[in-house]
Amino acid sequence: MKKWFAAALLLLAIGYTAYGLSTLSLYTSSGRPAAGFFPLLIGVMLIVTCTINLWNDIRERRAEEQAGVSHTHQTDPVAEGTAEAMGIHTDALDGGPEYGRDVAITFAYLCGFVAILKLVGALPAMLIFMLIFLFTFNRPHPVSNVLYSLALPGGLYLLFKVLLNASLPTGPLGF
Amino acid sequence: MLADIVSNLSLGLSVAASPEGLLFLVIGAFVGMIVGLFPGFGPAAGIAVLIPMTFGLTPTIAIIMLAGIYYGSMYGGTITSILINTPGESATVASTLDGYPLAQKGRAGPALVMQAIASFFGGTIGVILITALAPSLANFAASFGPSEYFLIIAVGLLMLTTMMGDNKFKGFISALIGFAIGTVGVDVMSGQQRYTFGSPELIGGVYFVAVAIGLFGIGELLHCILNGQHRQPAKRLRISFRDKEFWPTRQDYHESRFTFWRGSAIGFIAGVLPGSGATLGSIIGYSVEKKIAKDPENFGKGEMRGLVAPEAANNAASAGAMVPLLSLGIPGSGATAVLLGAFLMWGLQPGPLLIVNDPEFVWGLIASMYLGNMILIALSIFAIPLFVKFLDVPYVNVVPVIVLLCVIGAYAINASIVETWILVISGLIGFAMKKYGYSPAATVLALVLGSMAEETFLQTYIISQGTMNLFWVRPVSLVLSLILLTVVVVPLAISLSRKAKSYKANSTRKV
Repeated sequence: MKKWFAAALLLLAIGYTAYGLSTLSLYTSSGRPAAGFFPLLIGVMLIVTCTINLWNDIRERRAEEQAGVSHTHQTDPVAEGTAEAMGIHTDALDGGPEYGRDVAITFAYLCGFVAILKLVGALPAMLIFMLIFLFTFNRPHPVSNVLYSLALPGGLYLLFKVLLNASLPTGPLGF
Repeated sequence: MLADIVSNLSLGLSVAASPEGLLFLVIGAFVGMIVGLFPGFGPAAGIAVLIPMTFGLTPTIAIIMLAGIYYGSMYGGTITSILINTPGESATVASTLDGYPLAQKGRAGPALVMQAIASFFGGTIGVILITALAPSLANFAASFGPSEYFLIIAVGLLMLTTMMGDNKFKGFISALIGFAIGTVGVDVMSGQQRYTFGSPELIGGVYFVAVAIGLFGIGELLHCILNGQHRQPAKRLRISFRDKEFWPTRQDYHESRFTFWRGSAIGFIAGVLPGSGATLGSIIGYSVEKKIAKDPENFGKGEMRGLVAPEAANNAASAGAMVPLLSLGIPGSGATAVLLGAFLMWGLQPGPLLIVNDPEFVWGLIASMYLGNMILIALSIFAIPLFVKFLDVPYVNVVPVIVLLCVIGAYAINASIVETWILVISGLIGFAMKKYGYSPAATVLALVLGSMAEETFLQTYIISQGTMNLFWVRPVSLVLSLILLTVVVVPLAISLSRKAKSYKANSTRKV
């Protein structure tokens, strides 16, 4: 997946630069840098660095395949830097099994939540999200899940709508 | 000079010590401690997620509260480092090395009290140094031109990315992504629309709050789920400050008396330097303390100085990071970048002129940091049993709170569903960036500073008529250019020499 992410970044960099070149001018009629100058600079640097990055990732992957070992767990830069400074392995700070399926489910719920936000209104959308999420990941506690799903959205709705007077989407039920 | 400082601080105290100021300072400090408690959810995420909560407040009070979250998280992060060997915040990783062994020895109480005192000491020394240095630096920076500003931004970003171990290159790409996102919207120089795809919602640019909440809030949350934090049972711990064993002994204080000073000094310097920040400060603080100790073998086995040093350092560093932010308008970390974004959102332009144009705000914020540290030491000691109770809440119940705050917060800023989707996409990108070793902090930093970087770069280009000689003919620019070159060239040279050495060693072995 790492190399696919790097490849996606490269594609985006190419798209960013090409779109900029086709829609923006680089210099004004008086020869001064125009709106496209800085984006082109960034775009070119992005293409160069993303290409090298992709190449490095592919090389790393090949080396891992040849050696028969692969890093299953990628860590964040802070953890890597910290581990390096402490002279310990990064897994000691941030390691263990991965729950990719749970990430996908949570992200799907998040997308669903945003998709229905304007459709059903803020309060019902929050309630639905809470119930579905908790009954997926915290099944053994149905009563507390229901109580929590009622209390938290209610509290947040009051805070944003009543106390902060924020504009929240209203559904057919009026909230 | 001293009279100026005293009069400025009393002006600041009149703002920060007002009933409203105190109330939101306490709320910020309290929330900051809770943010620090939950592993994986750092101050940058905490500030980003809670920005929408400050809508009804005046800019000064809002920033006082957000800054309280920032330095409060440094206090809170250590509680879990000591009690469950899990740092709540990357800056408190070094505190686990001796904090947890102390707890295992049955000295959790003294460790918690000493970390609170060390945090207070480091934080207060840091704020005293801000009081002394920020105005002088702002005066000095008043003569800076566009070339100096562009170079400061470049040095800051490069230093942030070079602190990333093996991922320097990915850090650089992360910064470029931030700059690219920053080009969306109307070009300030020509008024031409860029990358808006005809959408009126993008004319004003990609709003940084949605991106920051997504990258830090949702991204970190998904990363915590990937690590299975939501599957872990709650940690049931009990601790009471009424116990005799809760308080440190006279020996603890005596042994650590110089450590407080050393840790604070190291941390402050690390905080002022762009890119290094509290994490590196605390690690250097720990290493230095261990190196100069007569009994280094005790470190890692429950040595109080091994806890005091990183704690004083990370709090002094979080204060130190405010110096470049307030006097130059250049943040040096993800958390201060989000704070800068909040400044801009409230119409405050950080930089040398901020102290002159808005002294009430700057001195109110500085005075609030003195008060905040006092509130935090009281909270850290007397509310420890309460904060320990927060650890009873299983992470699976924390996840929906964060999601709801992020989504509702992102929508409420401009009542825009487009920005809410930007949050979702940024969340996914932030997760992937964290997983594959990129730096969301560099992206946010570059996004916030993008327009300033572009403006100053183009101004330098135009003034120097395309030769860019301003980067080396002005003395400050020349120094900054040399630093920039050093930051780029030295690591490159070291890596090339290592490669050459290993190649030599390999060819010798083959022969």
